[in-house]
Amino acid sequence: MLKIENLVAEYGAIRALDGVSFTAAEGKITTVIGANGAGKSTLLRTISGLERAKSGQMIWADKSLIGKAPESIVRSGIAHVPEGHAVISQLTVAENIEMGSLFRRRHFRSDVKLAIEEVYELFPRLAERSKQLAGTLSGGERQMLAISRALVSRPKLLLLDEPSLGLAPLVVEQIIQTVNDLCRKSGLTVLLVEQNANTALAVADYGVLLSLGKVVANLPAAELKADASLRAAYLGY
Amino acid sequence: MEQFLSAVFAGTASGSIYALVALGLVLVWRGAGVINFAQMGQAMFSTYVASTMIINGYSYWIAFFVALAVGTALGTAVDLLVMRPLSGKRSSAMLASPAMRGTVPVIASLGILGILQAAAGMIWAAEERGFPAPVNTLGLTIGGTVMPFTAFDLFVIGIVLVTLIITTIFFQKTGMGLAMRASALNPEVARLSGIRTSSVRTLSWAISGAASSLAGLLVTPNTNLSPNTLDLILIIGFTATVIGGLDSLPGGVLGGFILGLVISFVNVYSSPSDIFLAILALLLIVLLVRPQGILGSKEARRV
Repeated sequence: MLKIENLVAEYGAIRALDGVSFTAAEGKITTVIGANGAGKSTLLRTISGLERAKSGQMIWADKSLIGKAPESIVRSGIAHVPEGHAVISQLTVAENIEMGSLFRRRHFRSDVKLAIEEVYELFPRLAERSKQLAGTLSGGERQMLAISRALVSRPKLLLLDEPSLGLAPLVVEQIIQTVNDLCRKSGLTVLLVEQNANTALAVADYGVLLSLGKVVANLPAAELKADASLRAAYLGY
Repeated sequence: MEQFLSAVFAGTASGSIYALVALGLVLVWRGAGVINFAQMGQAMFSTYVASTMIINGYSYWIAFFVALAVGTALGTAVDLLVMRPLSGKRSSAMLASPAMRGTVPVIASLGILGILQAAAGMIWAAEERGFPAPVNTLGLTIGGTVMPFTAFDLFVIGIVLVTLIITTIFFQKTGMGLAMRASALNPEVARLSGIRTSSVRTLSWAISGAASSLAGLLVTPNTNLSPNTLDLILIIGFTATVIGGLDSLPGGVLGGFILGLVISFVNVYSSPSDIFLAILALLLIVLLVRPQGILGSKEARRV
C-alpha cells in the first residue's frame, strides 16, 4: 500500500502539489484524473524521486520514500513509466528492456531472463522488433516498450503517466486492458494518471480527482464516474 | 611509393594516438557533459610517474601498467573531488543558471590542468626529458630492405586497435556498457531503470583517464616529455572530436585517424609548417558542410 500524506511539491514558483493525501490500495488500480496542470505528473515524479517533496510524507511498504533517489526507489519495487512513451530511441528494443533489469542481474539472473520472456509474451510485437532501434517504433509500440522496461524490474507498484497520450483509441484500449490484466492476475498495484478520465475510470477501482494541486474527490471509480456535478466542474464534460 | 607508404604508416600510428585522446574526451563529454581540458595534464602526470620508475630501474612494462593505474585514479579523483561536489552546488544562484552549469566544470578542468602542470614542474623540474619506447623507433629492416614503418608504429597501431576492440565490446555487449550508454543518452529514464548514474559518470572519468594515460605513454617517445608537451596533443585530439562528432565515440576515433593521416601527408609532401593551416582548413570544411561532425547527431548540438 502506498500512503501519501499532505504532500507538497513546488515546480519553480508554482505550488504543483498543495497538501495531497490519498492511498493506493494494494492490488487495485487507483487513477488520478484532472485537467492539465492539476499536478498529476508532478505527483508521480515526486513518488518516484525525480522531484523533491517540499513537505509531507510518502509511505511505501512501511518505509518513507522522502529523500530517496529514483534509483533506490525502483529497487524498493516502484516502477515509473513517465509521460511521453519514455524509451531511449537510440537503443534497440531489447536493450531498452534489458536496461530495466540491469540492477537485478547479479542476484536474480534466472528470474531476469524469465521477466524478459514474460514481457515479450505480453507484447509479441516487441519480440518481433527486438533488434530494431526504439526510435523506429510506432507510438503504441513505444508505450508498450516503456511499460515492458518498467515491468522487468518486477515492480509491486506501477506508476503510469498518461499512457494514452497521442495514441489511437484502439491502441489505448489494448494497453489499458493489458495493465488491467496484470493487476487482476498478478496483484500488481497500479497508480494510473490520465487526462482521459473515461478510459481510466472504466478500469480503475478508485479515482482521485486533482485540481490545482489539491484533492477535490477521492471515491470508488464507479461513484466518481457517476457524479455529473464533479465531472462538469473539473473535467469539463 | 615508399614515401607514400611511410606517410600512411606514420599517419595511422599518430592517428591512433589522437583517436585515444578523442575517445577520452568523448567519453567524458557524453558521460558528464564536460570538455575536460585537464585530460592530457592527467596523462602527462601519469607518464612522468612511469618515466621516474623506469629511471629508477623498473621495467618498461611495470611502469606502463602503473601509469595506466595512475591515469585511472586521476580520472576518478577529478570526478569525485571536483566535478561531483561542483554539480551538487545548486544553492548558489550563479552556479544554478543553465549557462554556468555548463561553464563551471570546464573552468574547473582548466584549473586542474594548471595545478597538474605546476605540480609536475615542481616535482620533476620543467625541462624536457625523453621517454623510452618498448621497441625500436627506427625504420624496421626485414630481409635487408628497410620497411616504410618502424616497429614502434606497429606497436602503437596494434595496442590502440586492441584497446578500441575491447572498448567496443564493453559498450555493446556488457551490462555496464549498456548502463553507460543509457545514462549518457537519457539520464532520467536510466535512473528510473535503477541505473546509478553518478557511479556511471565516475566510471566514464576513470576510463577516460586510462585511455589518455595510454595516449601519453604512446606519444611521448616521439615528442619527449615536459609539463606542457601534451597540450598540443589535446588540441589535436579535441579537433578530432569536433571533426568526427563530439557525441559519437566512433566519430572521435575516426576523426583521430583522419587528422593523423592529414598531418602525416602534409608533413611528407608539403612542409611541417603547413600542418596547422591544413588542420584549420579541414576543421572549417567539416564545420561548414556538416557542423555536427562526420558521425555526430544533430540533436546533441541543439542543447
